Amino acid sequence: MSAGQAVTAIVQRIEIHKLRHGDNLILGFSIGGGIDQDPGQNPFSGDKTDKGIYVTRISQRGPAEEAGLRMGDKIMQVNGWDMTMVTHDQARKRLTKKNEDVVRLLVTRKSLEEAVKHSKGSYPRQ
Amino acid sequence: MPVDKFANMEEKLWILEDLNMMYIRQIALSLQDSDIQKKIDHEIRMRDGACKLLAACSQKDQALEAAKSLQTCSTRIMAYMSELQRMKEAQVMQKLTRRSSDAGPMDDRLPCKGKVAISDLRIPLMWKDTEYFKNKGELHRCAVFCLLQLGGEIFDTDMVIVDRTLTDICFDNTVVFNEASPGFELRVELYSCCSEDDYSTGSTPRKLASKLSSSLGRSAGKKFRAAMDPGPCSPVGNGAPLLLPVPSVPGPKYHLLAHTSLSLSHVQDSFRTHDLTISGNEECSYWLPLYGSMCCRLAAQPHCMTKQMMSGCLKVKQLGGEPQSWTKVYAVLKGTSLFCYHRQEDVEANVEPAFTIAINKETRIRASEKDPQSKVQNICISNQYGGEEVTHSLTTDSREDTHRWMEAFWQHFYDMSQWKQCCDDLMKIELPSPRKPAPVTPKQGSLYHEMVIESSNDLTITVSDILAQRMRELELRSQLGTSPTWMSVFEENNPKSAGRPRPCTSRLSGHSPCTPHRLPRSPVCPHRCPQLSLLSSDASLTSDSDSHCSTSPCSHRHGWPEPSSNFSLLSSSPSRLRPRTLSLDAKLSTLRGRGYGGGGTLQCPCQPPPSSLLAPFPVSSRSPRSQRSTQTTLSCSSSTSSNSSSNSEGSHSFESSEGAPFSRPSPARRSLRNLKARLDPRNWLQSQV
Repeated sequence: MSAGQAVTAIVQRIEIHKLRHGDNLILGFSIGGGIDQDPGQNPFSGDKTDKGIYVTRISQRGPAEEAGLRMGDKIMQVNGWDMTMVTHDQARKRLTKKNEDVVRLLVTRKSLEEAVKHSKGSYPRQ
Repeated sequence: MPVDKFANMEEKLWILEDLNMMYIRQIALSLQDSDIQKKIDHEIRMRDGACKLLAACSQKDQALEAAKSLQTCSTRIMAYMSELQRMKEAQVMQKLTRRSSDAGPMDDRLPCKGKVAISDLRIPLMWKDTEYFKNKGELHRCAVFCLLQLGGEIFDTDMVIVDRTLTDICFDNTVVFNEASPGFELRVELYSCCSEDDYSTGSTPRKLASKLSSSLGRSAGKKFRAAMDPGPCSPVGNGAPLLLPVPSVPGPKYHLLAHTSLSLSHVQDSFRTHDLTISGNEECSYWLPLYGSMCCRLAAQPHCMTKQMMSGCLKVKQLGGEPQSWTKVYAVLKGTSLFCYHRQEDVEANVEPAFTIAINKETRIRASEKDPQSKVQNICISNQYGGEEVTHSLTTDSREDTHRWMEAFWQHFYDMSQWKQCCDDLMKIELPSPRKPAPVTPKQGSLYHEMVIESSNDLTITVSDILAQRMRELELRSQLGTSPTWMSVFEENNPKSAGRPRPCTSRLSGHSPCTPHRLPRSPVCPHRCPQLSLLSSDASLTSDSDSHCSTSPCSHRHGWPEPSSNFSLLSSSPSRLRPRTLSLDAKLSTLRGRGYGGGGTLQCPCQPPPSSLLAPFPVSSRSPRSQRSTQTTLSCSSSTSSNSSSNSEGSHSFESSEGAPFSRPSPARRSLRNLKARLDPRNWLQSQV
């Protein structure tokens, strides 16, 4: 996938309510990736040129996990802002806006695509 | 017809090649050296194989590897041929000199040979900062490898794909040349090939392909000549293009990007930087912006330092002692000392020698006057210990023995004078570990690989679990096929193999040996049984694409393996796909209910939901007591923060203050660390939000 190609994916909506911890609003996950990062080092992406933002770690029982976010998810949008062509820092900033208590993410994950594919068509039954 | 004309030319080229081969064989026969002939034959067969492979393969990585083998074989053939030529010349010269009866006694002392090892080659690159930091423009990728040539031996390093995210080209091969003379010349050549062009000839029409190949014959010959010139071997003269033209096979071609020659003066027990001579310019497709230097460790072990040069029985007396205090010893001359053992058996038994006499550049050895009684000359060895001069006297039983020892000492001194700094101390040469057959790594030397091998860190366990699940998902997508190369990183016990993944044949059972850090979890084992029943009941509810693994715990419930072979549970059954019957939302809600509601049965810390069934192991290891899991989280974060200082900064750019499961590092520290991390593009930055 290079710049300019349309991105189609099966997406899921995840709404995370940030947890207030002192002065900080915590979401409870870590992200990796970005157009300024080396996509080859991303262990979650299928396409090693994919520079999207991926969830690399989920804090146990954190807001993200409870909202249904999973490690390996690719974040496509945050509150309507696109996350497929952003730098790492831009992505982080969009998630950690101080005036937002809730972030609505649009994520995709391989298993979703797999699942839909399998439920649609025929596949070998063993 | 034009096609025929070109086909004819190709035929002519092949005929010429056959003739050349006959010529070579004749030379080899006349020299009665079947060794070189065998080598040449072997290399030609390898080259043919590489050509065929190149023509047949469609994958870019395979093509690059095949082209590399082709280049190596061609270079080796050239080297053998020029060696043959040289031998032939030497033979002719010898005959001439003998006839002229002018040659004096061949008294030239030859220095001993030695081992020369070159390792840790690193070639820094100098990208323009716009390319490097902002990641603008197309990602220009080149495949590079090094050819190392010393004497008649040529070795190639592994191939590395280079693009602008790398700051250095690193080859971690260690190459050892066994029989090198002190006047050696180690030639290092860097070949590169652009790995972006479409060079598969599937699309090229046949006529065009044959036209191209035969017309390239001439330019290949020119390249051949050019490649021959800087070689240490004598050029074959004017016949270069005709002498075994390189068969031109459509496919990736490597070009010489840089070269340098190393010799004895560059040998040192540490890393040194050497200058590279760069050929090519920016217009070439294979161009890479080299900084112009190369770092490596060039070590040499002359045989006089590692082998016993002389051994025998002696009588030793320290000068200044009593005249009759001769000690009978078994002496061994090796390295910078003469080791004197009480008995010969002590040498093999590794017993400490009775005493040691230093034999180094400062030592003076002379023969003393004949002993009036025994008519045998003594050998006197003088050394300076501190400010004092200590002299030892050696004597043997016969004059021949004395002569032999003197000869040995002279030879030893000569060797030391020839090998110079290599004889000061024994340089360590690590023998390269046996190579495992490895697929081509798309990314080598990536810090991510180095990073995760560090065990005894809970975070690594998490990551490897994550990747194990990822593996399972991939397994479903492609029932056969090798795992992604990063997966095999976790199948190695040996951290050194981080850079050399191998095909993952037994995908998940491979985890079982790699569990030194999982053992502490064994007490948890008994708790797993009830959880499995929970799993299996859930399996019916949430049937999904990963259901094959959900069935396997059921089937294996009775035969409970020990914790370390946990993953073998999941690997044995083939994938069975079952239809999805639930919508995604319902699935997630069941997961949520299962995962977070219940009292510590199944807590899925970090797992993709469909395959959460797959991971009874990591789950159960964390679940039984929530305190433990918090503790592991804490220990994980704190150990990572200590780790991150030693590892690439910012690659796990989060830390936690004690006692707080969630906390973000203070903005100032984070920005500094982020800055450092961002400036080092080799890191794959992760941020906690």
